[in-house]
Amino acid sequence: MIKRHIQHLHWRVGFGIIPKNLEILSRKEKTQVIDELFIDSTQISPLNVDTSDIDYIPNKAFLKDPINRDKFLKKSIQKTKELNYAWIERLTNPHELLREKMTLFWANHFVCKDNNIFHVQQFNNTLREYALGDFRDFVKAISKEAAMIKYLNNNQNRKQKPNENFARELMELFTLGVSNYTEEDVKESARAFTGYNFMFEGDFYIKSKDHDYDFKSFFGLRGRYDGDDIIDIILDQKQCAQFISEKIYNYFVNDVINSNHINEMVNVFYPNYNIEELMRFVFSSDWFYDEENIGAIIKSPIELLVGIQNIVPLLFKEPVDILKIQKLLNQILLNPPNVDGWKGDKNWIDSNTIMMRLKLPSILLNDSYISLKQKGDTNTTYLNQNVRHRKYNKIFNVEPNWNTFNKNFGNSTYKEIQETLILCSLNKGTELFLDNLNQMSKKEFCVQLMSLPEYQLC
Amino acid sequence: MDRRKFIKNTSLASSLFLVPSFVRAFEDIANEKLGFRRLVIIQLSGGNDGLNTVIPINNDVYYRLRPKLAILKEDTLMLNDELGLHKSLLPLKRIYDEGHLSVINNVGYPNPNRSHFRSTDIWQTASSSNQYLKSGWIGRYLDNFDNQPHNAIEVNDSLSLVMKGRKINGLATRNPGIIFKLSQDPYFKRVLNYYNDEHLNEHNLGYLYKSMITAKSSAKYIYETSKTFTTKQKYPNSEFAQQLKTTAKFINSGLNTKVFYSSLDGFDTHVNQSKTQERLLKNYADSMASFIQDLKQQNTFKDTLILTFSEFGRRVEQNSANGTDHGSANNVFIIGENLKPPGIYNDLASLNNLDDNGDLKFEIDFRTIYATVLNRWLQVDDKKILNKSFKQLDFI
Repeated sequence: MIKRHIQHLHWRVGFGIIPKNLEILSRKEKTQVIDELFIDSTQISPLNVDTSDIDYIPNKAFLKDPINRDKFLKKSIQKTKELNYAWIERLTNPHELLREKMTLFWANHFVCKDNNIFHVQQFNNTLREYALGDFRDFVKAISKEAAMIKYLNNNQNRKQKPNENFARELMELFTLGVSNYTEEDVKESARAFTGYNFMFEGDFYIKSKDHDYDFKSFFGLRGRYDGDDIIDIILDQKQCAQFISEKIYNYFVNDVINSNHINEMVNVFYPNYNIEELMRFVFSSDWFYDEENIGAIIKSPIELLVGIQNIVPLLFKEPVDILKIQKLLNQILLNPPNVDGWKGDKNWIDSNTIMMRLKLPSILLNDSYISLKQKGDTNTTYLNQNVRHRKYNKIFNVEPNWNTFNKNFGNSTYKEIQETLILCSLNKGTELFLDNLNQMSKKEFCVQLMSLPEYQLC
Repeated sequence: MDRRKFIKNTSLASSLFLVPSFVRAFEDIANEKLGFRRLVIIQLSGGNDGLNTVIPINNDVYYRLRPKLAILKEDTLMLNDELGLHKSLLPLKRIYDEGHLSVINNVGYPNPNRSHFRSTDIWQTASSSNQYLKSGWIGRYLDNFDNQPHNAIEVNDSLSLVMKGRKINGLATRNPGIIFKLSQDPYFKRVLNYYNDEHLNEHNLGYLYKSMITAKSSAKYIYETSKTFTTKQKYPNSEFAQQLKTTAKFINSGLNTKVFYSSLDGFDTHVNQSKTQERLLKNYADSMASFIQDLKQQNTFKDTLILTFSEFGRRVEQNSANGTDHGSANNVFIIGENLKPPGIYNDLASLNNLDDNGDLKFEIDFRTIYATVLNRWLQVDDKKILNKSFKQLDFI
């Protein structure tokens, strides 16, 4: 398989690729490279943090007491932070690469937020479990998650007084897209989800006294539907396959839709809704490797951070710095802004984030210093600059592991380093600028490349 | 497009003969010299207990439902026969006595949501309780009536939803020196010197370069303008006070910013509320007093309106941990020199007629306050920003 195509593929199914692995894959056929992605992701490794110190909590009633609840919440919020760190750690070094990238994608599709660590963790692992599975089962599982039942108020959805929140978002954000259903459909389907509830441990049950067992009219059909029936009817609409295909295309291919490609995807996805089959089709399509799709997407903050760590591993001495970075760049995992999730693409970039994003690599890797040494500069100016940069405050307490970088890139040429780090074609002026830089240190060159706007794309 | 912008754009885009020079001269004066009105928004995050902030000192229900938490009449700063301020708010009482504070009671919205996240979103996007908007009301103000990110500043490290428009976002900065230093890295300067804008429209890459250029010039403008002013006013030693100090610096240096946003966190008092709230309200009032003094010294208070809100109030009945749980309607403070009439805008809702959860029923939709501020204070078309026409209130 062509190296450039492998690099492209690995930025979309992961967070970039180092030269050694690129070399190995380049000797294989495209179909084999793609097959291996799926084989490597067969397994499911749940992500869990140690909750032994709060496992004693016996039941919901215990938490009715405000003092108990307060104590539990504090612990739970701390544990959720730990899960955040653990997730990012997982992303930097996953065995099931594609499954993890899909999990990240689904977390911004089935958007949910909660402050009970047990429910947060269970929800996150449900995303992981179904990430490449049957979308029909996936939606049904999500509708029964404790965190989701709380987040979209299905636990307040009662026969006597229906709450439409979940039913509406199910169609608007999770399956069909806005205005592909009527207000009547929302009302009727909300009735089917009445009584949805969960045990303290997170297991789902239907509170039968709150559930509406009567007839419901939905998408022109009529029956004594429950929640699963409603999901089945929704997925029978081809629009659902269309909606999901577009979202996947935006995330994995290009933020500009090509309707021919979408049509092909819908025909693969509908009516079986096999996610693995759909993804295999996308990665195998010739159009996936079109030049206009390579290096065309603005990295999410998490992709940016994890991508840097894949080149130069980082040791955060104070884990809270990981959270600080996410906050500064506007994407805190497990803490989406609202049910619509992060808008992504150009929305990652504004006057606040752009400078921080450009400066982040040098802050993490090089005490905020980006070398400017040009061809023909003498060593003295280099030293001066080096002294000057020590004046910068250390913003994060982090230790970059340059040994790993040196090991991985020791045999690479400057050109190869550039091709590894930058996928889009360089701005003409910037290309000239890079040519004039004194290429004397691979480390400095790496920081320079990562500090270009071009590095923000993948 | 409003008239001012129309004239400005016309004079830039087409040749000068279209606009008589005296009009341009007038517009320049209006823009640069005469000063303009500013809005400062403060969110008390976590849900401040309004009933223990502005206390119903003669209300039996209040004292009955809060056996341990109610504040005695003699411990309050009396505003009128019915209401007294929490004793931590002494500086605010002085502002009230000067006629520079209005208290609007029972502010909320229909079908209140008691989640912090959701209710904050509702307040920040000015949506209804069942409506999800992706842009904040100040962001939409920028979209419609100003077009530089620095026209609205959140004094914080990251930007809240309220500041995000459909087309442009406001700016977040706690310390303009830091963004400036980031943006002044000689490496970025050099990259932009070499930058060839032949491909400026190039999909996402062009967008990144353009954003870089805008951010750099915004950071420079804010830093260089704000450093021309140094305050002599003393502020309390708290993070919130520092935010207000920075806001005053921006205002007093003549920064072209119409809206400022800050927040004070920690009001989610489920357990042992009294001490926590006392400390937070003291921080709020002391910082606010310094801020107002700072503005008065530079004669900018008259052009500033300060709006303080919380995403919800708290339950009327206290809980068993001497705290309060999430409630609904709450009071809003408006501070400024141009209140008409200042004081208690409306009576507190009846505590005998609570909703199903035992919470205050709302009387005034918070969006009518926004509409009034937009229309009468910032003098823009509130309907364009709120997407709907709301009643105007009579507090300014």
